[in-house]
Amino acid sequence: MIGIIDYGSGNIQAIKNIYKKLKIECKFVSEPNQLDGVDEIILPGVGAFDEAMTQLNKSGLREVLDLMVLEQKVPVLGVCVGMQIMAESSDEGKLAGLGWFDAQVKLFDENIINHKPKLPHMGWNEIQPKSDHPILTSINFEKGYYFLHSYYFECHDENDVLATTYYGDAFHCAVNKGNIYGFQFHPEKSHSNGINLFKNFAEL
Amino acid sequence: MNIEKQTVCVSCVMDTTDSKITFDEKGVCDHCNTYFHDILPKWNPEGLDDKELYELAAKIKKDGQGKDFDCIMGMSGGIDSSYLLYLAVEKLGLRPLVFHVDAGWNSQEAVNNIERMVDGLGLDLYTEVINWEEMKDLQLSFFKSGVSHIDTPQDHSFFANMYKFADKHGVKNILTGGNYSTECIRNPLEWMYYQSDSRQLMDIHSKFGSSPLKNYPVTNILWHKVYLPYIKGIKVTRPLDYMVYNKEDATQLLEDKFGYQRYPQKHFESRFTRFYEGYWLPEKFGFDTRKVQYSSLIVTGQMTREEALEKLKLPAYDPETIDEDFEFIANKLGISIDELRGYFNAPNKTYKDYKNQQSIYDVGAKVMRALGMEKGGKR
Amino acid sequence: MLRSRVIPCLLVHSKGLVKTVKFKTPKYVGDPINAVKIFNEKEVDELIVLDVDATVNDVEPNYQMIEHLANESRMPLCYGGGVKTPEQARKIIKLGVEKVALSSEAISTPKVLVDIANIIGRQSVVVVLDIKKSLFGSYEIYTHNGKKKVKKNLFEFITELEAIGIGELVINSIDNDGVMKGYDLALIKKVREHVSVPLTVLGGAGNADDILDLIDEYKIIGASAGSLFVFKGVYKAVLINYLPELALQKIRQISQT
Repeated sequence: MIGIIDYGSGNIQAIKNIYKKLKIECKFVSEPNQLDGVDEIILPGVGAFDEAMTQLNKSGLREVLDLMVLEQKVPVLGVCVGMQIMAESSDEGKLAGLGWFDAQVKLFDENIINHKPKLPHMGWNEIQPKSDHPILTSINFEKGYYFLHSYYFECHDENDVLATTYYGDAFHCAVNKGNIYGFQFHPEKSHSNGINLFKNFAEL
Repeated sequence: MNIEKQTVCVSCVMDTTDSKITFDEKGVCDHCNTYFHDILPKWNPEGLDDKELYELAAKIKKDGQGKDFDCIMGMSGGIDSSYLLYLAVEKLGLRPLVFHVDAGWNSQEAVNNIERMVDGLGLDLYTEVINWEEMKDLQLSFFKSGVSHIDTPQDHSFFANMYKFADKHGVKNILTGGNYSTECIRNPLEWMYYQSDSRQLMDIHSKFGSSPLKNYPVTNILWHKVYLPYIKGIKVTRPLDYMVYNKEDATQLLEDKFGYQRYPQKHFESRFTRFYEGYWLPEKFGFDTRKVQYSSLIVTGQMTREEALEKLKLPAYDPETIDEDFEFIANKLGISIDELRGYFNAPNKTYKDYKNQQSIYDVGAKVMRALGMEKGGKR
Repeated sequence: MLRSRVIPCLLVHSKGLVKTVKFKTPKYVGDPINAVKIFNEKEVDELIVLDVDATVNDVEPNYQMIEHLANESRMPLCYGGGVKTPEQARKIIKLGVEKVALSSEAISTPKVLVDIANIIGRQSVVVVLDIKKSLFGSYEIYTHNGKKKVKKNLFEFITELEAIGIGELVINSIDNDGVMKGYDLALIKKVREHVSVPLTVLGGAGNADDILDLIDEYKIIGASAGSLFVFKGVYKAVLINYLPELALQKIRQISQT
């Protein structure tokens, strides 16, 4: 059973619609006791870093998520800001992140973006995979995914990088450490590439 | 053979779900017999002669000289109308205006196929868009009425619009993709009553509709079967009747030449029709239109009875997607799944439970058959 | 590299999809939900849906319709029409929409853009400006479906929006709307000089080349169109369509340079 964390941030309905169409069981989780029976977690998120962290802390899910992800090694997939909050901290905010990755979230340096528009990074962009991971099966890398963000994730450990995308410079658009996955783009709004990513995650 | 207990025809696959079916001493049903005795002798696919078809085309060209187009062709995106379009342009040299009615249920494949055919043949397209709020109300009325012919709102609007357009613009020739090759055996009236019966349509709407029909086009049998052809000289022609039309070959040709997208079953160009014929009609009423379609293919030698029986073992709908389809239909009609379920479980009614003009149709059909102008037909 | 986006734009009026010419004579083109469904199956880049009644009638956005449309889109959706408050924006985002567009409210009360950005994130805040050329050749901003002229200088206002910080700017040419004879390239050139946020242009696209030329010129830009993706041929037959595969490939190639 896939648990989509409903803490007030992110397009949870779109993700549920995708799993519904794939006929893969999933449910919204807004309280700790709803995590019973959940063996894979999706952590969505949009908007500002601090706002997302505040809401997650308020939801009462923080502790049980740390336990499930870090101790029990339950697979978790973070989307957009849901991925960003897995870092230690963000340029965008003052609060600490979940710290699941040894990483920082930084603002794109407009000086190295030598075209207009500059920010946010908005639209369909390719991804360059770093390895042949099963979660990237059947993905059309040239078609890529839809991005909508001004801050990007920077892993300190190169081994955590699953894929990069070029915007001004190459940045980490997909990360993975053991059971933890994070994607900067919006797979729930990237047509077949997105559907395949969610499907692959469920089948891990 | 014990004929009293016979339920399925020995020649085709029509059976007693058509409650009016009769079997002769050999176990052959009346649909087949009508085909062999009434249709085949006059149609004769083996001895079909291009000549009549080309003569027809010549007349259409003459009627249309000096105009932007010489005929109009109703196009749904389905295989019959698409193949006809190809034929009309490339073989007969006609200049049809492609006419499409958008009733709000077009599938992506249908829209794509229309585009490919129109572009591939360099034709002009004309569409009439039915007001969706009205269509929705009318369709819901039909669901509420409990009758089996709930696709009437779509069908009626197609023909009404086409006739109206022809009348308005002085177009003398309408081409349709109807054909004996795949439709010589027709849906029994009990399953699908005449979609053009406006008296029935209006009665059902007045009893169950919630808003007036201001934009929805209404036709009626006398207007388009008597007035238009005999007074205004507007003729409907079925060119596919003049040739051996093999559906599979036709589909392949369109795929190769135009990048046509195949449909899994007949009428899948409209999501509603797919739901209607694939699920509603067989599951609520026990009327499986595949039996009609396959029987037509069987008697014209395009399918074997064994193949048909095999296919009929599976449900007419896709069990994988049916829940999704059910939800889609409910959502689109603006009702809950429970409400749609409610209509599904409600008692079955027939066209006789509402006002109708069947008597006029009966008279008309007799006259047509007596004059040899219509072969077979609905019963 | 980042590709330019090609974005069908749908106008909703009295629950139905309409197309206008110079913001007038709305022609009914069908059911919005079926249109979105077909665009979704065609895998379009993104979609803009604008409710042209909400502001004029001073009513709330039609949340039920928005929810249905969002359910059909596996691509990003931008909704505009009658949005005035951060609470409305939050509600719309929650229904599964990626971006919220404001026009008249953004013009009368630019501060609302900051408030909304604080709730949904700046990247999701879009401002749509409807532009008409005056008799003297200058570009003027209009609201309420082209009926009310705004007493602000277009380029000064755009600079103000840049300073406030928004996610995207959509420039809609009233003069070219529905005419299908090409975008207002002079307008686009001038606007582009003043913005560094993503820019999307709407109004006038008549064929695939109009879009390709635009993208070739600006490399990264949003090319939106209404009539082009809804009509076909001389009779303006209603048929949902998108750019052919060849054109999409060209756009991908442009992004590689």
